[in-house]
Amino acid sequence: MAERTAPVPFRGGGFQPRPRRLVPVAVFVAVIGLWQLASARGWLPALFMPSPWQIVGALGDMIDSGTLGKHIGASLSRIALGWVLGTSAGLAIGLAMGIFSAARAAGLPVVSALFPIPKIALLPLFILWFGIGEPSKVATIGFGVFFPTVIAAYTACDSVPRNLIRMGQSFGLPAAAIVWKILVPGAMPGILAGFRITASIALILVVAAEMIGAQYGIGAFILSAGNLMQTDQLLAGVALLSLLGLAVSAVLGAIERAVLRWR
Amino acid sequence: MDLRLEGITHHYDGLLALDGIDLAVRDGETVAIIGPSGCGKSTLLGIVGGLLKPTAGRVVTVGAPRADSLNPFTYVFQDFALLPWRTVAANVALALEHHRLPRAERQARVQAALALTGLADFAAALPRQLSGGMRQRVGIARALVVRPAVLLLDEPLSALDAQTRELLMEDLLAIWARERSTRLYVTHNLDEAARLADRVVVLSRRPGRIREIVAIDVPLAERSGPAIAGVREHLWALIRDEARDAEREVQHG
Amino acid sequence: MHNRFIAILAALVTLSVAIAASAQEKVSIAALRFVSSAPIFIAMEKGYFKDQGLEVEFKFFDAAQPIAVAVAAGDADLGITGLTGGFFNLAGKGAIKIIAAQSREEPGYDFVAYVAGKKAFDAGFTDPGKFPGKTIAITQTGSTFHYMLGMLAEKRGFKLTEVTLKPLQSIANVTAALKGEQVDGALLPANNAYAAEKDGFGKIIGWVHQETPWQLGALFAGSRMIEQRRAVVEKFVAAYVKACADYAEAFLQRDAAGKRVFGDKADALIPIIQKYVEPKPSVDQVKASASYIDPQGRLLVKNIYDQVTWYQAQGMVARDVDAAKFLDLSFVKDHLDLPKR
Ligand SMILES: Nc1ncnc2c1ncn2[C@@H]1O[C@H](COP(=O)(O)OP(=O)(O)OP(=O)(O)O)[C@@H](O)[C@H]1O
Ligand SMILES: [Mg+2]
Repeated sequence: MAERTAPVPFRGGGFQPRPRRLVPVAVFVAVIGLWQLASARGWLPALFMPSPWQIVGALGDMIDSGTLGKHIGASLSRIALGWVLGTSAGLAIGLAMGIFSAARAAGLPVVSALFPIPKIALLPLFILWFGIGEPSKVATIGFGVFFPTVIAAYTACDSVPRNLIRMGQSFGLPAAAIVWKILVPGAMPGILAGFRITASIALILVVAAEMIGAQYGIGAFILSAGNLMQTDQLLAGVALLSLLGLAVSAVLGAIERAVLRWR
Repeated sequence: MDLRLEGITHHYDGLLALDGIDLAVRDGETVAIIGPSGCGKSTLLGIVGGLLKPTAGRVVTVGAPRADSLNPFTYVFQDFALLPWRTVAANVALALEHHRLPRAERQARVQAALALTGLADFAAALPRQLSGGMRQRVGIARALVVRPAVLLLDEPLSALDAQTRELLMEDLLAIWARERSTRLYVTHNLDEAARLADRVVVLSRRPGRIREIVAIDVPLAERSGPAIAGVREHLWALIRDEARDAEREVQHG
Repeated sequence: MHNRFIAILAALVTLSVAIAASAQEKVSIAALRFVSSAPIFIAMEKGYFKDQGLEVEFKFFDAAQPIAVAVAAGDADLGITGLTGGFFNLAGKGAIKIIAAQSREEPGYDFVAYVAGKKAFDAGFTDPGKFPGKTIAITQTGSTFHYMLGMLAEKRGFKLTEVTLKPLQSIANVTAALKGEQVDGALLPANNAYAAEKDGFGKIIGWVHQETPWQLGALFAGSRMIEQRRAVVEKFVAAYVKACADYAEAFLQRDAAGKRVFGDKADALIPIIQKYVEPKPSVDQVKASASYIDPQGRLLVKNIYDQVTWYQAQGMVARDVDAAKFLDLSFVKDHLDLPKR
């Protein structure tokens, strides 16, 4: 009598995200294509939603008039300066709060109280303090970046395993060496994750920052397009911001890969 | 350099962890400390190495440590405590970086420590690329590079699987044969204590007190055979009931 | 017997009133809580809308832009606010039509002032002709203030590019910049201009009505609203114009010397205006903010063409926008200054 054989059915697989490079591009192209079709057929009223082609046209006008570079340059320099200043100050305070209990006790209530204040509400004050030139714009971005950086830095310090610090002490490392060789590198993943957030915040705030007397800048361009109801230009500006966001995220990704190779 | 523990008592916020530990350790001796979970072994080791301040009592050294010792009391940690962003060589070098040494000597010392622990080929590897056993070898190399007078090992092999542990025990014996230090070796594992130690200090359950000090007269070379079965049995008999009670105890805090 | 008759009569009257009430046409208007919206407040409180059989709902916004958007999108049937570059771009797409006048700059009626900062004034910025080379705060690109400067430039023969414009988004920010001497001057509504002078950080160096009278605001309706409910729009305009006449009688009187006088009629209307305007103005603030509104709701038509042309020349309004297409002059009789075509 022959034994009956049956293969065990396969039940595994799936639920495992794998990179698919073409899918995002395809989705992007499909959405834009549909959008253009809907605009061309009049399904999307031109009054409320310009077509992708019109947005490209608005971008083209900016290139032709030579203002594109000025807008991007003005915004990038504000973002870069504001972000660097806000991040440096935030790291200094945040690390101090991560290291010294007294600094934490003093800083935490202040940070908690000031963090949630919408920076836009402070614009009239910023005008009085910093004027309507570059300082107030840089300050708006800097303040927006500062608080999340403080929080990211000190929580990142907390996340450094205490046993590594005890190890440093057991080998007689001086306090400064423990900070620079153990605490700061150990806090790096948390700090870099914070950078991703603050870079987005800086991009978001550039619109608010350029509310104050800016002639050039992507934010100023978006605002003026909004005031003038030029929806195609408005969306062109928004597209520029998202492209900038993608570029910044790519740069941060590269930095992360370089700095956190050990993970 | 001899070591004397005099009436070490330690409280954690009202919780008595150690109660009146007196112990004399001779230079070059290996003393294992065993006892049920939570009896204060780690606490005791912390006090000896100066990372914890005892509530009462003191640890004194008798005589000077060897002249070339950069860090007389040096730990080997159960969880290795390696810096994941540093290579093997850099992790070992960490212990030397704040000492004023000629560069060449520093490098030579690191090379020597790596060679002694069988890590010469892994100098440029990152911790995450290594197995648990290799990681603990890095921990041991880092401890040896400062030429310790007293090695404080807190369950150094507990995180490893049985085979790796066996291999490392052999390596430790080989290393200790070539290097002069006093060792305090905390472990849960009676085998390790019986295999490695000259004397075994058996602590009672919390608050930790010394119940008995068992001297093992079997030469190290013969310890893998049946010669130490009796010692093992004796230690187990000492610790068995207390271990059961300690296990059933509700944890505080 | 007699009593019963009266009771029946009373019941019938109540019923007919109830029927009339339920037959009222619903219509909504988007507006700012500004004194310049006064005619609709008056028409509401004095029952002019109800007399026309309209049940009017106010939809308040805190900026001019969304009002035009709301009407274009059909969220409100009508709107009343200032004319801006954004308004013309939206109107050019055909969704809204201007039907009657709101505020205008009329000689003799202070509304928007040219204000010099204290320091700039002391340094010789004493006259609207001296704008070239100055840094001037405005609220927004393409706002009425922007246009007023453009008109001044044309009248006084300088180029707008000779003035550095700082768009600061809000009157509060403009005031702050003036106070902090961040700018040499600004254009400010009368109330804020007086306040700046009182606090000593600003000097009024002239009024827009002295330089360039123009049609600042308008009443407008959605194009579909006009097509589908023309009778309702007509009734609304009738009530609105009646209120404009009341308003003019109360707030736009001048004595023989040309000085404005506010009598009992103003006092009667001020509480109505105070009821709707936010933040609640004082009596003096209402008087200071009471801009000129044509008593018959008539527009300065040619000026609206001029506005579109100016914005187009600045590149702020699309070339294909044509004022003729978004003006519907059929609701109000005898509009003023019609362009000769
Ligand atoms: N920082 C601390 N604060 C409060 N109590 C502590 C602290 N560290 C340890 N203890 C308590 O003190 C007692 C002794 O702890 P210790 O870690 O020295 O024991 P151990 O013998 O090393 O235990 P194990 O075998 O589990 O490693 C335990 O009951 C523990 O809960
Ligand atoms: Mg322990």
